[in-house]
Amino acid sequence: MGLLRRIRETGRAAEPAPPRPEGDVPEKARELGGSVQVRCVDAGSCNGCEIEIAAAFNPVYDAERYGARQVASPRHADVALVTGPVTRNMAEPLRRTVAAMGEPRLVVAVGDCAINCGEFAGGHGVEGAVADVVPVDLTVPGCPPEPDAIVAALRRVTGR
Amino acid sequence: MSAIPAALATATTLGGAGALAGLGLPYRLRVPVVGLLTAGAGVAGAAAGVAALGGSRWATDLPGLLPLVGTHLAVDALAGVFMAVAGAVVVAVAVYGVGYAAGHGPHGLGSRTAQAMLPLFALTLVLVPAAASVSTFLVLWELMALVSLLLVLAEHRERASVRQAGVWYAVMTHLGLVLLLAAFALFAARAGGETFAALRAGAHTVSPTVRGLVFVLAGLAFTSKAGAVPLHAWLPRAHPEAPSPVSALMSTAMVNLGVYGLIRTGLDLLGGGPAWWWLGLIAVGGVSAVYGILQAAMASDLKRLLAYSTSENMGLVFIGVGACGLFTSYGDRPLAALALAAALLHVVNHAAFKALLFCAAGSVVRSTGLRDLDRLGGLRSRMPATAGLFALAALGAVALPPGNGFISEWLLLQSLIHGLQVPGVAVAVVLPLSVALIALSAGIAAAAFVKALGVGFFARPRSPRADGAREAPPLMIAGMGLLAAACVALALVPGLLGDALDRAVSAIGLPGSGALSGGGVRVRLTDISASLSPLWVVAALAVAIMAAVGLPRLYGRRRRRMNARLWDCGGGAPTPRMAYTATSFAEPLQRVFDDVLAPEQDLNVTPVRESAYLVERVRFERRVPDRIEHRLYEPVLRALAGTGRSARRLAGGSVHLYLGYGFVGLVVLLVALAVGW
Ligand code: SF4
Repeated sequence: MGLLRRIRETGRAAEPAPPRPEGDVPEKARELGGSVQVRCVDAGSCNGCEIEIAAAFNPVYDAERYGARQVASPRHADVALVTGPVTRNMAEPLRRTVAAMGEPRLVVAVGDCAINCGEFAGGHGVEGAVADVVPVDLTVPGCPPEPDAIVAALRRVTGR
Repeated sequence: MSAIPAALATATTLGGAGALAGLGLPYRLRVPVVGLLTAGAGVAGAAAGVAALGGSRWATDLPGLLPLVGTHLAVDALAGVFMAVAGAVVVAVAVYGVGYAAGHGPHGLGSRTAQAMLPLFALTLVLVPAAASVSTFLVLWELMALVSLLLVLAEHRERASVRQAGVWYAVMTHLGLVLLLAAFALFAARAGGETFAALRAGAHTVSPTVRGLVFVLAGLAFTSKAGAVPLHAWLPRAHPEAPSPVSALMSTAMVNLGVYGLIRTGLDLLGGGPAWWWLGLIAVGGVSAVYGILQAAMASDLKRLLAYSTSENMGLVFIGVGACGLFTSYGDRPLAALALAAALLHVVNHAAFKALLFCAAGSVVRSTGLRDLDRLGGLRSRMPATAGLFALAALGAVALPPGNGFISEWLLLQSLIHGLQVPGVAVAVVLPLSVALIALSAGIAAAAFVKALGVGFFARPRSPRADGAREAPPLMIAGMGLLAAACVALALVPGLLGDALDRAVSAIGLPGSGALSGGGVRVRLTDISASLSPLWVVAALAVAIMAAVGLPRLYGRRRRRMNARLWDCGGGAPTPRMAYTATSFAEPLQRVFDDVLAPEQDLNVTPVRESAYLVERVRFERRVPDRIEHRLYEPVLRALAGTGRSARRLAGGSVHLYLGYGFVGLVVLLVALAVGW
């Protein structure tokens, strides 16, 4: 009983939904109807971005309430969330992952590294930015980007 | 004028001619001519069986044929079932065997000895049920054992393991013969005659103890021939090592004769007996069914798997025969008739699908040289006909509709479930237990055959030899086609056998069960008001499958399709080594039955010299030994070897000692005679 009362008294713990982010919903994302399955690919990041992505899906930022959901296989996914500069070893797997996704598919490059190799530009194992390997639809700048920014990018895809 | 004598005479002539042709003809002519004559003998044998099933009987004495006792032959409907099954299997296997032996060169099955023995084996399989006296029966029985032994040994040049299997088979089959001799000698001496008619007439004058002893001895011998535990050890050795056409014959027609012998002796000659006989038989059947199929599910050798599955099916048949005897001893004759009809129908069904399975396995072995499921795979696209036929037969073996095994197991379960109305504590305990055992064995059978088909024929080839597999030659496929047609017919219209089975059941004095009445399309059990229409089951299943497969296609055509490569987690393409093997498929089941199977495993880790933390080589080994064999046979074998070693000391090499033995023996004999008589 005590627990139930506690729940009632506490109410919502998540942050109130911020206003809709600027920018239009990308053309391809319209077909998805506001429900987006997300597959993360770490193409060589320092894991800073991964921590923020994890935070974006936690109960506070709660990306799921906007219709974005993480899945385990690209076969189920509409969006690839790619982090880090693309290393040589990950270039081919990244291409295959994107190719394995059904149409329509979107690629979101998360973090400065993913956009322009950031900190690791010119490194010997670095193949290039994500856009050099697969076509990118959205970017989320920052090193690492804040969870808010990631959620905002996902909201642009879900349109909610 | 009955057709039976003419048909049997034709079979004998053709079989004999086949044996001579096998001995005399050069290699090129030998195989086709022997195949033709064997098939002819099979046709004649099947015709005799069908005639007997049609209601004609025949008996004759040929006094001059065997010294002292003469030969007695008689054919009734019960013998007819086994004759017809043996004949039919022989026809299909003979056609298949021509294709099998043709490419193999003049060794193996194509050799002079093997080709001479094959028609003889076929002939004895047809003739054993016709024997109507102890001596005739035993002579034919022993001839069948010897001829099949020679056939098991046919490929001894190719594999050393064949010889060991031959030794096992020779010893165990003769152990069975000794038991049989003892049983029949005792029985004939007490009943006052050695023809079956005399035994039948004199059975009620024999004391219960002797009758029990006869049943136990003969039961051990016959269940051993049928591959039931505990005397089954020869079967998983000899059946895989024999050339595949021979395996097919042994695993169907020959094991069937074990069932025949038991029905003939227990229910007919001894005229039934007390409940404990049949409870014992049901126990043997139940244990064989579950243990056999469990070992089959563990086996990764394709033919060994099939051999163990024979153990299982014979176990099911023995449950049926045991239930029949049990119901008879409690006086419920209609139910007894139903149980026996179910058992006989399962004999027929098992013969059809097991012969086909062994033939299909044979074409795999012939094409790849492999029996190890772990190294096969990918055969569906390389040998499509063989794979399809194997799948058809496997459907029969798993006892699910629409396979043919389903109907006989359904009948068997019906008879057991309705047997609960029979009073008695033992019945109330044993029947539900055997129902559970049958259900368990059917479930494990499904796993075993999914493994055999899925791992052996689907996926990608796991070895170069499997990769290079070629489809079997047309004659082999034709032989398998005959068996497949039989499987399909048995699955769709088992009711056609209704009258024949009724006659077979009434041949031992039970009322016809009417189990499979209804003009073939319907199976209706008159006494317990249950019915089943296999044809409708199949039709409904076919419609459901077509809907499940067809609708998405129709619907999917409107959408754009694209081909994508297999999702491999972004890494390299999966290699065949990543696929499920037979061993890995069976592993979960093996864990469940850990206590029963007691697998042994060895893990050997070799570190590199510089550091104990870096591993150079890991060697993992796992065996699932036959535990009954382990526990039961090895102590006996050890004791025998020990006795032999100590007995060697008796023969010291001194002539005086040997003369002394002779003298002592003579004196003991004289004293015994003087005192005893
Ligand atoms: S953007 Fe920053 S946090 Fe993200 S992977 Fe690159 S260095 Fe790490």
